[in-house]
Amino acid sequence: MKRMKNISGFISSTLLVLFFLVRPAGLSAQDTLRTYGPRFGLDLARFLYILADPSEVGAEFSVDFEAFRNIYPVLEAGYNTISEDRDPFDYSASGTYARAGLDYNILRNKDRSQHHTITFGFRYGMSVFNHRIENIQISSSYWGIYRPGPYENDLTGHWAELVGGMKTEVVPNLYLGWSVRIKFLLNPDMDPLMVPELIPGYGTGGESRLLGFSYSILYMIPLLKK
Amino acid sequence: MSSRILLSVLLLFAVSCISVEVCDESYDSEVIVKFKTKQEGGAVDSTISAFTLYGIREGADYSLLYDSVPASGFTAPLDPGQEASMFVMQVNGQTDTILIYHQQEIYLISYTCGFANRFTLDHLESRGGIISGDTILKETVDAEDETNEEHIWIYF
Repeated sequence: MKRMKNISGFISSTLLVLFFLVRPAGLSAQDTLRTYGPRFGLDLARFLYILADPSEVGAEFSVDFEAFRNIYPVLEAGYNTISEDRDPFDYSASGTYARAGLDYNILRNKDRSQHHTITFGFRYGMSVFNHRIENIQISSSYWGIYRPGPYENDLTGHWAELVGGMKTEVVPNLYLGWSVRIKFLLNPDMDPLMVPELIPGYGTGGESRLLGFSYSILYMIPLLKK
Repeated sequence: MSSRILLSVLLLFAVSCISVEVCDESYDSEVIVKFKTKQEGGAVDSTISAFTLYGIREGADYSLLYDSVPASGFTAPLDPGQEASMFVMQVNGQTDTILIYHQQEIYLISYTCGFANRFTLDHLESRGGIISGDTILKETVDAEDETNEEHIWIYF
């Protein structure tokens, strides 16, 4: 009796799998409805960065949409702060940033209903932020320690990015994805006194090229089916 | 075999990422002054057999930068946060006070080493009558100037 139950369970599971895998005759993959809608994402890698460097805190959100076949306009936005108390001076910077661009999907899914993507794209990034230097100490062997006043400046950073990555739909409408990007700072001389230690959304201001990594969880709101 | 290759690549990245920046204890911005004597057709180097120099600032202690030594010039740190750096010099027993007026700004050496002072020399003033004149050759003085640069000539 027990063996009979196991066999019937196996058969029903197999039928269930076959039901999803085998399509009725005459219905091709092209006939499957595809869902469309804005996809909102949160960069989880930011939280790992906090573990590695607690002085730097930030969050990043994204939204994209398959506007044309395999073409995804992307908007990413976030904020970053850094606060460091160090020996020669204390440094803090904070601000918001946004990136806009396009991703192009090169993965050809067998089924139109599948949304897995491997994308390449570009971004233009802009950050509006403030940085402040306090407790500056300049030591002289003869005159002693000189302590100039604090320095503060409101800045705007511009950069361009080339991006590559992939996204997998782990359950309907829910995605996990990663991306790597190379960033090119367009205005490295934004502050005559001090290159910003952190340009929110870009990274270290002293580097004219940087690599970036993100690992995101995303949810697509299924607004359209066609 | 492949794990060895992977390990080698990881080590390569680790080694390439390690760089240690060494900072000097102080970043003095030092003016370099040469002694000259005016002659027909120009100025010639001059050497003083007993030269003493110290900097003074109101309310601060001083120590000797040069103590009765032969000298054809001097190197002295400029006084940050002041309108002028003031030095007392003794030349073969005679005393003079020299004021080097300057403007000042700070600049970043590096995130690790911090800031230093950059001075722009304006003019000189002497009060004892030993110095007959001066020429500012290079207006900017900062902590990264080469030691063979000359900022000022003073004439005796």
